[in-house]
Amino acid sequence: MALIQTIGLAKTYKKGKVDIPALHDVTFEINEGEFFSIVGKSGSGKSTLLNLIGGLDTASAGTIIFDSKDLRKMSRSELANHRRFSVGMIFQSFNLVKSRNALENVELALIFGGVPRNIRRKKATDLLTQVGLGSRLTHTPDELSGGENQRVAIARALANNPKVLLADEPTGNLDSETSGEIIQILRDLNKNHHLTVIMVTHDLETAEIVSDQIIKMKDGKIVDQLTKTEVL
Amino acid sequence: MNFTDMIILAFSNLWRTKLRTLLTTLGVVIGIGALTSMVSFGTGMQKNVTDAFKNNDLFTSITVTSKKVNLDEIATGNVGQMAEALKSEGKPLTDSVLEAIRAIPGVELAYPNLEFAARIKLLGDSASLNVAAMPGAIRQYKPFNDLLAGAFFTSDTSRSVVIREETLSSRLKIKLLKKGGEVTLTHSDSVTGVKLMHPDSLIGKTISLVTMSVNKSKIPMALLGMMRKNPEMPFDETITEVKICGILKRQGEFGRGVFNGNLIIPLKTAEAIPKLGFSSVWDLLDQKKKEGAYGSIHVRLSDMKRMNEVKKALEEMEVGVFTISDQLAEIKRAFLILDSLLGAIGAIALIVAGLGIINTMVMSILERTREIGIMKAIGGSENEIKMIFFVEAAVIGFIGAIFGLVLGWIVTKIATFVMNTQFLPSGEDPINLFYFPVWLILGAIAFSLLISLAAALYPATRAARIDPVKALRHD
Repeated sequence: MALIQTIGLAKTYKKGKVDIPALHDVTFEINEGEFFSIVGKSGSGKSTLLNLIGGLDTASAGTIIFDSKDLRKMSRSELANHRRFSVGMIFQSFNLVKSRNALENVELALIFGGVPRNIRRKKATDLLTQVGLGSRLTHTPDELSGGENQRVAIARALANNPKVLLADEPTGNLDSETSGEIIQILRDLNKNHHLTVIMVTHDLETAEIVSDQIIKMKDGKIVDQLTKTEVL
Repeated sequence: MNFTDMIILAFSNLWRTKLRTLLTTLGVVIGIGALTSMVSFGTGMQKNVTDAFKNNDLFTSITVTSKKVNLDEIATGNVGQMAEALKSEGKPLTDSVLEAIRAIPGVELAYPNLEFAARIKLLGDSASLNVAAMPGAIRQYKPFNDLLAGAFFTSDTSRSVVIREETLSSRLKIKLLKKGGEVTLTHSDSVTGVKLMHPDSLIGKTISLVTMSVNKSKIPMALLGMMRKNPEMPFDETITEVKICGILKRQGEFGRGVFNGNLIIPLKTAEAIPKLGFSSVWDLLDQKKKEGAYGSIHVRLSDMKRMNEVKKALEEMEVGVFTISDQLAEIKRAFLILDSLLGAIGAIALIVAGLGIINTMVMSILERTREIGIMKAIGGSENEIKMIFFVEAAVIGFIGAIFGLVLGWIVTKIATFVMNTQFLPSGEDPINLFYFPVWLILGAIAFSLLISLAAALYPATRAARIDPVKALRHD
């Protein structure tokens, strides 16, 4: 059975009395351990779709099943739990707390995860070491490069051992070399740690290299769906 | 997220905006400072009064009068009641009544109230004052059991008197030297001839007590004198020599007036001194007092707990009964109103501080919108976000309360110092106008926390409701 399944998913935003459709009839499945990419131009609805899977936003219609649970039926606190334990998110703009150093940013996720204080520091250190930041633990986001910030964000996303890593344009703010490094980390997590990765990107070329499955979106709809064999 | 983590998070968040946190907390400090200093003034007044009552054993005292008089009615200005009381025939307080009162279980001492005006001469100075007669047995009760110097008289017929310390200083120009205390004569003291004396040196000194009494044989002459416009008063002067056996300690501002009389004289000695008929303030209510009857009787109980039992027995004797303890509830209620008024004024300052907290929190949310979005994205629930802001407000409230209490305490100390050094007449013991009971300290902290949490309610709810998707896009 698929880890994530969406059926006829739709999202409409209201602006005054006008309805603005962002997603329309989106149906797909993601299996556990897959590297899944959502490709499309700006405004195609790919980030909206990722936010729905991540439980940051709720769908207007359709069904979204995550690990046998219907996200649309979850209460707000259940959704918070979903964001805390089931998924880890990284963003184009990193979204780190600027006043806290790398360790503290990772620890913040562990605090919400209810990890005891005596274990927290060690776990955060280990995670940051894993992403190659063992020597930059006490640096604040302003003192780190873009690539380093994204690594801190990855370490934070992994803090509570999620089932799925959601990456929203993770290389959008990075140069090509650093982008390659970040993609490599995501790939490593997927292949060697069997973490399901869902990546939103406008870069079809990269998506085609790393993904098991790709959906192409335009104006809130899926216009094309490719599996690994088709990608190759 | 556990509570310790929230506290740590709150402190680190507040630390980031030190100046704003400091200014907001300062608002709470001033609010709590104002509140506690005001309320502590009310509680201080109450404590001074009740302590004065306790120090004088007034809760074990009863005054028995010949008539049942509703003092409350009279105090509220019910003239009809007063007139009725004056008209009515009371039960004469004769010696047999006095004996019957003494026989009531729980009564340790009962004696007639006897006070009279006299002029006294001591060491070349003279003064007109009130003399109160008491039995020697009163010496076991406060405040007569702990004298400044000498000892209370034991015999009811001796010619020994106890004088109040404040009578010496205010009426007889004598300042007393005390152990550990510094007493000096001011320039005006020297001009007016104030003497500085050791209390022990006054013991054994002779006082001449000059009393007036009506000489009935002189009345016709006096009337005749009035017609000739050369009146001669129909009074005789009697001089009684008595010796000072003890000096009563100063009772403080609030202890004064708990019994009348500047000089205490043995009961039998007083009875033997010729004087004007009027013996105590209770006589005013009893113009039809029978010959040989007392105006009022003072009763002391062995224990405050026996008050009701003794009162009941006295009421069955159909005499008027007046107790301070009855008035205590009334006094406490009056102080409660005073405390509430003072508290309300202080609370206004704290509410203004609460508005400061709201402002700080709302500003903080605007600045931290993105951070709130991040916290939500990594799993922070609405309740946790709300709690973070509540804890931040509570930290401001708690720290503000602690320093506010310190500020309030300092203000009261300064006020007490200024009051005692600038306004208190020289020679008077310092008065502590303020009192910080434990309930005030804990109550101030609780109130500050309550106001802070109430102030955080809107900002915290607003923070919790922030849409994470929008917040993450916020600059």
